[in-house]
Amino acid sequence: MLSGSKEAIGRFVKWGTLLLLVCLALAYPWLFPNPYLRFVGVMTVMYMGLATSWNLMAGNTGYVSLGHSAFFGVGAYFTGIMIVRFDMPPFAMVAAAGVFVGLFAIVIGWLALRTRDASFVIVTLALVYIMLLLAQGWRGLTGGSSGLSLPRMEGIGREDAHVPFYFAFLILLAVVLFTTWWIGRSKFGMGLVAIRGDEDKAAALGVNTDLYKLIAFVLSAGFTGIGGGIYVYWFSYIEPFFVFSITIGVNMILMALLGGTRSLFGPALGALLLVPGTQYLIGEYGSTQLHVVLTGLLLGAIVMVLPMGIIPSLRSAAAHLWSASSGASSAATCTESDEVAEGVGR
Amino acid sequence: MSSHLLLQAVVLGVLTGGVYSLWSAGLTLIFGVMRVVNIAHAAFLVLSAYLSWFAYTELGIDPLLSLFATVPAFFVVGVLIQRLLLARLRDHVTMMSVLLTTALAITIEGSLGMLWTGSHRGIEISYSTSSFSLAGISFPSDQVIGFVLAALTFFALFMLLRHSRYGKALRATIQNPDAASLLGIKTTTIQGIGFGLGLATAAVGGLILGLIHPFFPATHWAWIARIMAIIVLGGLGSVTGAALAALLMGVIESVVLVTLSPVWAGMIFYLVLAGTLVFRPHGFFGGRLAERF
Amino acid sequence: MRGSRLMRLFGLLVALIVLAAACGGDDPSSEDSTDTTDEVSDEPILIGASLPLSGDFSEPGKGVQNGYEVWKEHVNASGGLLGRPVELVIRDDASDPNTVVADYERLITVDQVDLLFGPFSSFLTIPSSEVAEKYEMVFVEPAGSAPDVFNRGLQYLFYASTAVAQDQGNYWAEWVVSLPEGERPTTAAYPIVDDPFAGAAADGIREILEAGGIETVYREIYPPEQTNFGPIAAKIADSEAEIVVGGTIFEDAVGLVRSMQELDYQPKAVFLNTAPATTPGFKDALGDAVEGIYGPSSWASSLTTPGNAEFVETYTEMFGSEPAEDAAQGYTTGQVMAAAVEAVGSTDDQDAIRDYLRANSFETIEGTLSFDDTGAPSGGGYIILQYQDGEIVYLLPEDVATGTPVYPKPEW
Repeated sequence: MLSGSKEAIGRFVKWGTLLLLVCLALAYPWLFPNPYLRFVGVMTVMYMGLATSWNLMAGNTGYVSLGHSAFFGVGAYFTGIMIVRFDMPPFAMVAAAGVFVGLFAIVIGWLALRTRDASFVIVTLALVYIMLLLAQGWRGLTGGSSGLSLPRMEGIGREDAHVPFYFAFLILLAVVLFTTWWIGRSKFGMGLVAIRGDEDKAAALGVNTDLYKLIAFVLSAGFTGIGGGIYVYWFSYIEPFFVFSITIGVNMILMALLGGTRSLFGPALGALLLVPGTQYLIGEYGSTQLHVVLTGLLLGAIVMVLPMGIIPSLRSAAAHLWSASSGASSAATCTESDEVAEGVGR
Repeated sequence: MSSHLLLQAVVLGVLTGGVYSLWSAGLTLIFGVMRVVNIAHAAFLVLSAYLSWFAYTELGIDPLLSLFATVPAFFVVGVLIQRLLLARLRDHVTMMSVLLTTALAITIEGSLGMLWTGSHRGIEISYSTSSFSLAGISFPSDQVIGFVLAALTFFALFMLLRHSRYGKALRATIQNPDAASLLGIKTTTIQGIGFGLGLATAAVGGLILGLIHPFFPATHWAWIARIMAIIVLGGLGSVTGAALAALLMGVIESVVLVTLSPVWAGMIFYLVLAGTLVFRPHGFFGGRLAERF
Repeated sequence: MRGSRLMRLFGLLVALIVLAAACGGDDPSSEDSTDTTDEVSDEPILIGASLPLSGDFSEPGKGVQNGYEVWKEHVNASGGLLGRPVELVIRDDASDPNTVVADYERLITVDQVDLLFGPFSSFLTIPSSEVAEKYEMVFVEPAGSAPDVFNRGLQYLFYASTAVAQDQGNYWAEWVVSLPEGERPTTAAYPIVDDPFAGAAADGIREILEAGGIETVYREIYPPEQTNFGPIAAKIADSEAEIVVGGTIFEDAVGLVRSMQELDYQPKAVFLNTAPATTPGFKDALGDAVEGIYGPSSWASSLTTPGNAEFVETYTEMFGSEPAEDAAQGYTTGQVMAAAVEAVGSTDDQDAIRDYLRANSFETIEGTLSFDDTGAPSGGGYIILQYQDGEIVYLLPEDVATGTPVYPKPEW
C-alpha cells in the first residue's frame, strides 16, 4: 500500500522531469538566442545523438568501435554528393543517408564482426583511414581535398541559421533514445546483453549472435550516418579531414563512458557535460593544447576510477544509501542483478 | 619502369622496413606479455623524438648520447604504467586497456603541443642528408644509420628474450600466463618488465624517427596504424614475425609508391591490417598465440 | 525505489542545465551590446582572426600573425582606425577545419569583433569564409588563393594579394620557356601535395611549360600526411626530368628535397611553392640544400612600394629578424581593410565596405591591388625568388630584381 503510492509518486516525478527536460530542450534556441550559444547547442545535441548511437552497439554488445567517424563521414559525403552532384532535396537526403550508411554497415559489419575485442577496435580504426584515403583519392566524386561546397539554406535570417539544424539533431536524438529504450525492453535486447556477458555461451544457448550483433551494428552506424548528413548540410562544406577524424570517434566514446554505457541517458548526459565544457576550454585556452591534455586525462580517469560512468555509479551509490537508511534488504542485490541482466534501455 | 628504379625502391623499402621492425617489436612484445594493444606506442616514439631533439638543439647533447637517459627512463615509465594503471583494471581488460592507452596517447600529444607548440621538428645532424652509392643504388646515410641502430637494438632484444632467465620467463608468460605462474614465474613482475622493455625499444625507435622523418605532436596517429598493421600481419606477440612483416611491408610500401601511387601506398597498410584480422587473425608468420586477442 | 533513483538523477540533470544556463547568462557577451560601440568613440575596434598556430600550417600561420601585429602597431601609432585604437582577437585553429569554423562563429557572435581577417591557406579559408558569408561580414584574407576559394559565389571574400594560385608561378614559367634552345629544359616533373592550393599552383605552371614544349614526365599527388618521400624521389629521379616543379606546402617540400638530395638526383632547376618564402624555417630545415631553389613570393623586401621600408623596419624591431612573405601578406590584409573602412567611415555597414572594396584599388606594400567580382586579385603573377649563397635573391619581374638567375642550379 505504502510502497504502491511511493511508486506512483516516483512515476509522476519521473515523467514530470522528463517533460520538463523536453520543454527545456525545445525552448533552448529562444532561451539563448545568441548565435554562438545556439551553435554550441547544435553541437551538444549532435554529440548527444552520436554518443547514444555509438552506445547502441557498445553498450548493448560490449563491442567498442573507435571508428564511428567513418560512418559519420560516409553519411556526410552521401548527403553532400547527392545535394551537390544530383541536386536532391537536402533533408530527404539526410534520411536517405541513414539507409545508405546502414547498407554500407551491413558489408563492413559482416567483415568486421568476424573479429572480437581489441581486434575489432583496430579494424574500426583502420576503417577511418581507409575512408579518409578513399575520399581524398576519389576526386571525381568527392572533390578530393578541395571538398564540396553545399548550397546554403535559403530564406532564413542569419540569427536563425542554426535553429533548423538544432531541431534536426534533436529529432535524431529522440529517435535514437527511443530505439535504445525499445531494444532494452525487447527479446532482441536480452540477446545482445547475453553477447556482452559471454558471447560463446550466448551462442550455445541458441542466440543467433552474428545476426544480433550485425543488427545492432547497422542501427548504430545508420543513426551515426544521419548525424553526419545533418552535419554536412549545417556546415555547408565537407572535405576529408573534416569528417574522417579519429577525434570525432574518440569524442563519442568519451561521452558515452563518462555518462555511463549501461544506461539509456548516460551517453547523452556525457555529451551534455563535455561539449559545452570543451567549447568553454577552447574559447578560454584555445591557443594552447590544454584541452587535448584534459581530454586525455579525463578519458584515463574515467577508465581507472569510474568505468561504469556517472549514471550507473550514481544509481548504485543511491541504492546503497537507500538500503543503508531504510534497511530494505533487496535494494542492493537488486541493483547488482540489474547491471548484469538488463541492457541499456532503462 | 626501369629495373634500376625497382631495385632502388626495394633498397629504400628494406631500410624503412628495418626501422619499422624495431617499432613493431616493442608493440608486439607488449601485446604478447599482457594482451594489451598499446595505442600509445607511437606517441611514445614521438615523445622520444622530441626529447632527443630538445637535448640536441637546446642542450647540445648528441642524439646518440641522449639514449643513455631516455632508454632507462622509458623502461621505468613502462614498468610504472603497467603497475599503477594497467594492472589495476578489473573488468573488460582488453577493451579498457585500449581506451586507457588511447588516453595516454592523447595526453602525451597534448603535453608535447603545450611544451613545444605544434610546429614540425626534425633532428638535423650534419651527416643526415649525405648518402653513398653502390652499383648506382643510393643508400641515404640517415636511413642507414636508422637501420643499423634498429638492427642492433632488435638484436639485443632478441638475445635478451632468447638467452636470459628473464627472457625465458617472458616467453613462457607470452605463451601461457597461467601455466607460467603455476611454474612459479611471477607473471605480474614479468609483465611490468615486458612493458618496460617495449617502451625502452620505443626510446631508441623514437630517436630514429626524429633522425629520418619530420614530426609534430599529432604524427603518432599515422604511425600507430602502420605498426599495428605490421604486428597483426606478423602474428600478434611474435617478435620475429613482426620483424619479417615489417621488412615485407617496408618493401611493399616502397614498391607501391613507385609503381602505383602514394594514395595506394598509404591504403595498403590499412587494407592489410583489416584483411588479416578479418580473414587470418593469427597472422602469416607463425605467431604462436592460438587465440584471437 | 527506481522512481527515487531516477528522481535524483533527473534532479541532477535539471541542476546541471540550470547551472549551464546560469553560466551562459553570466557571459557578458551574450547581452546585446553592439549598438553601444558607436557612441563611445575611443572604444577599440576589435578585429578577429583564427590562424593555424599549430599543426600542418603552423610555420606560415605564425608569420601571418606577426604581420597582423605589425600592422596593428602601425595603425595605432598613427592614431588608430577611424580615430579608435585597434585590438586583435586571434584564435588558434590547430590547422583543423572543424575548429576554424567554430572559431569564426565565436569571433563573430561571442567576441563580437567589428572586422574579420582570414586564416592561413586555402584549406582553412574555404570553410571559414562560409561563416563570414553567413553573417554577411567582409572577409579580407591573406592566403586563400585556390580556384575553389573564388568559384563558390561568395560576396564578402577578398584575397589581399597580387595573384591567384594558378598565376603565381607565371613569371618563372615564362622565363623558363624563354630560355634559348639547348639551355631550355625539355622535361619536367610535378610532385604535388593533395591540397586545393598546391595542385592549382603547380598546374598553372605546367600549362605554360607544356605550351612551351616542355614535356611532363611525372605528375603525381601525394596525401598531406605523407612522410616517406624516398621512393617518390626515386621515381622522379628515374623519370630523368630536367626540372622539378613542386606543388608543396612546407614539410613535404623539406622531405622531398632531402630525399632527392640523398638519391644524388641533380635537376637543373627546382621550383617549390610556399616553402622557399617561409623564412627562416626553410633554410633552417635544409641547410645548404636550399642553394638554387626557386619559389614564388607575393612580396619582396626590395619592393619600393610606399610603406614597405617601414614595414620591414618595424617587423625587425618587433621580432628580431627580417619579415617573410607570410607576414607581408598579413600586413597587406590589414592595409586593404583599413583603407576601405576609412573610406566608408564606419565598421557597421559591412555591405558598404564590400562595395567599396569591389570598386576601388588599394595601395599596399605588395603593390596596387584591385579585385574582380569573385574577390580574386587582378594581378599577373608573384615575384620569383631564388636562394643564392644562402640568401634570398629576387629575380622577376625585373623592376624588383636584386639579382639574376643561377641556372642550372649548383649540385646539392
